[in-house]
Amino acid sequence: MDIKYVNAFINGLIEIAGMLGVNDLTRTGLDKREKLKTENDVNVIIGLVGDIKGNVVLAMQENTALNIASKMMGGMPVAEFDLMPKSALCELFNMVSGRSVGELEKMGAITNITPPTLIYGHNMISLISQVETLVIQFSTAEGLLELNIATED
Amino acid sequence: MASFVRAANNVFKQMLDLGINKGQAESEGDSFISQGFTVMIGLTGAWQGWFFLDMSQDTAVKLAGIMTGEEYETVESEEVLLAGAEMGNIICGNAITDINSIHSGLNIRLTPPSVFAGEGMSMFNVRLNACSVILQTDAGTIKLNVVMREAK
Repeated sequence: MDIKYVNAFINGLIEIAGMLGVNDLTRTGLDKREKLKTENDVNVIIGLVGDIKGNVVLAMQENTALNIASKMMGGMPVAEFDLMPKSALCELFNMVSGRSVGELEKMGAITNITPPTLIYGHNMISLISQVETLVIQFSTAEGLLELNIATED
Repeated sequence: MASFVRAANNVFKQMLDLGINKGQAESEGDSFISQGFTVMIGLTGAWQGWFFLDMSQDTAVKLAGIMTGEEYETVESEEVLLAGAEMGNIICGNAITDINSIHSGLNIRLTPPSVFAGEGMSMFNVRLNACSVILQTDAGTIKLNVVMREAK
């Protein structure tokens, strides 16, 4: 995948997270994903169809998810991972993808997105889009975030 | 939904030589609990949403075994995940071709499949309603789940 397209997602995540109150998001690393196992209990996935085909997944641990949801609600404590934080995270990632796709369109790659789905479970194994997956790590005061980008070229 | 069941039926019969008994279609609300192994494929177009193929890890291992002719022990082997993804892709592809040809203008397109396996997984879709059909096969119970909404 072309690196300029990846940047659209990185910028999208940083900007939208900042808008929703998570201001200290910094990129800490970029890797090719080598193992199938994932330590992250919370995964939000959005599909891409069009000039770019694939899936993007925002993955994090449960604590991080709760902290971010609480931040989005203006500091309201969120103790349990129930409907409210789930829908908050889906909405966050929906906005991120929407904005990123807008940026992709400006670059000439017209892409459509599916609605977000949140997958929550333990000891998970995942295979995204049957292709090599790029993992971008972010850190914030709320915890660590991972953006997985898997697109077919 | 009927298209999905028909597609699954054909694929299981032709590819795997497995007979299936279909259950009743039911509505499931905005979330469902996975049996342990889920293939998910996104749909966009005039309708958008997701197609899920959900089964237990044992069933996934068995199906992969039938497809490739090799023996697998756990879902941690990449081939099992790939086999599951391919199966989902074929079923969903057939079903969507069918739907697109019946309702011209819908123009639904698929994302590549992703596979998740784990313990106590639940899937959650915001503001979408799911419809599912349970299929009993000789390899185990397989659930087809479709969530869709009209695109804005």
